[in-house]
Amino acid sequence: MKFLIVEDEEGLSKSISLYLTGEGNICDHAATYEQGYQKLSLYDYDCVLLDLTLPDGEGLQLLKYLKKINKTDGVLIISARNSLDQKIEGLSLGADDYLIKPFHLSELYARIQSIVRRRHFNGNSIIHFNELEIDTTAKETKVNGKTVHLTRKEFDLLLYFIVNKNKVISKAAAVEHIWGDDADMADSFDFIYTHIKNVRKKLTDSGCKDYFQSVYGVGYKFADV
Amino acid sequence: MKLFSSYNRILSIITLTGLLVIGFLFYQTLGGYINKQIDDHLFEELLEVQDFAHVKNILPSPDGFDDVVVEYKKINKLQDKRRLFADTNFYNPKKKHQESARYLKTELILNGQPYEVMIVASKFERQEQIKSIILIILIPVIVLLLILWLVNRILIKRMWLPFRQLLTNIKAFNINQEKVFEPIQTNIEEFKALNKAVLDVSLKVKSDYKEIKLFTENASHEMMTPLAVINSKLDTLLQSNTLGKEQSEILADLYKATSKLTKLNQSLLLLVKIDNNQLQDKEEIDLRALIEEKLNYFQEFIQKRNLQVQINLDTFSITANRSLIEILINNLLSNAIRHNYDGGSIRITLTSDKLVFCNTGTQGKLHPAKIFERFYKDNTSEGTGLGLAILKQVCLRQNYELIYNYHRDYHQFSINFNSL
Repeated sequence: MKFLIVEDEEGLSKSISLYLTGEGNICDHAATYEQGYQKLSLYDYDCVLLDLTLPDGEGLQLLKYLKKINKTDGVLIISARNSLDQKIEGLSLGADDYLIKPFHLSELYARIQSIVRRRHFNGNSIIHFNELEIDTTAKETKVNGKTVHLTRKEFDLLLYFIVNKNKVISKAAAVEHIWGDDADMADSFDFIYTHIKNVRKKLTDSGCKDYFQSVYGVGYKFADV
Repeated sequence: MKLFSSYNRILSIITLTGLLVIGFLFYQTLGGYINKQIDDHLFEELLEVQDFAHVKNILPSPDGFDDVVVEYKKINKLQDKRRLFADTNFYNPKKKHQESARYLKTELILNGQPYEVMIVASKFERQEQIKSIILIILIPVIVLLLILWLVNRILIKRMWLPFRQLLTNIKAFNINQEKVFEPIQTNIEEFKALNKAVLDVSLKVKSDYKEIKLFTENASHEMMTPLAVINSKLDTLLQSNTLGKEQSEILADLYKATSKLTKLNQSLLLLVKIDNNQLQDKEEIDLRALIEEKLNYFQEFIQKRNLQVQINLDTFSITANRSLIEILINNLLSNAIRHNYDGGSIRITLTSDKLVFCNTGTQGKLHPAKIFERFYKDNTSEGTGLGLAILKQVCLRQNYELIYNYHRDYHQFSINFNSL
């Protein structure tokens, strides 16, 4: 997949591109409105990560431009402003999602993949990982063709790990993904352990290999060893 | 004491004393003047008696004069030739009753004989005159005073009307609301000045407050981007394959701190947002459904801590902003879970006007006023210290009454929806 990161904060865009690159992904980068404008005119991207406040212009104008020239790139707005109005405006202008800074890279990647899945719907709603098969639309999990019953949260967690496969996901990121920011349970990071244990058990009971790996109490990784 | 009563008290004391003193002096002067007149008259009568005796060589009969009574008493010799005037009572033979009177007593030689002569004149008529005069003067004065007092009262009331209006407007002024201070219409210079001063102060306060809010908002926003960088760098660091146990632990702590900082920032922004009344869209919210949804949302936390949850929910809907109410329920529920001990219990009661969250807790009674202050928390809490402040701010915005109670080992937060 090919992504464009329109973000003036160099540190942030570097980390994002580092996280996204690899596994067949390519990242392009624009630090200003002008650069973004040029790159959007010249190339096609699967998804554009768009910061709203750029040193020489408004990110929303880029979004308008993109729609004007009839490009079908997916757009994920990344903004420091948690404003409902801006969110609504962005989404009504044709953005696919809106992510508020600060965010976890794993969350960002999950959102990007969700956008891409939606955009190229044909067959892509089903994700395969070895013997695992996940239907993101029907929210069904199958191991070797056999359905595994997961709760809604367990399913979300599994999907989160699978789309971020081979990456270490911090407990903080996992908790936030499942319970959102307003859970205000910052002291309950360790709690994610129980949750992952449940998913693990259900999967291994159905004959799935255990792909979850713990990383010294800081996070987990879903990978084929 | 009201300004008017204070003013009135002083005024009435002065008026009353003044009236008494003046009345007394007036009566005395008038009485003295009348006495002098009677005395002159008595003296004239005495001269007449002398003339009469001198001309006719007989004493005039005791009641031979028009309005006086004359008494003679033979004495041996003249001792005191002074004329003595004094008050007395006497029996008026014409009117046949006792009357106050004035007499002149003196000793003189009549027809060669020494006599003590006493001439008595009734004071009755004159006294009646005094009474009439005093009444004639006093009654208008009192009436005048009463009218003055009444006019004063009405005038003062009317004059202070702008002041009262001003006071009402000052009381109605709320720093949090869009509405600016409402100046009053008056022609009185002093009130105009006061009005202007209050208006200026209110505008200044408003702009200062706005600036502070803007500062908080901007500061928090500005911090979000560096936080995003830190977060992304942590995530990048986490992907490193050479991560040892020690570094991982450091990373875990960094994640915790960053997450807390983020939460703090978000809470501050939320407070500003609620303060700014930015969450205004109202809709009908089924509270019962919302609470059940949130319970479901938090169920893993509840199960893990082995908390007993008793719910008693009536079906009840309110019209409010959904985000605010979600924050409200979220905060109440997460507090009840977080500050509980393992195996503790939570009771949630919803009736048609009240929502009550009760929970057991690791701590005893909390300070009922301080807990709603920003950044008030005990040292063991890992929260931001803003959760309850947000709760209070939401209730304030929605005009709900929020009360904290501690009863039989239960912390109780009740929200009264119909308080205003």
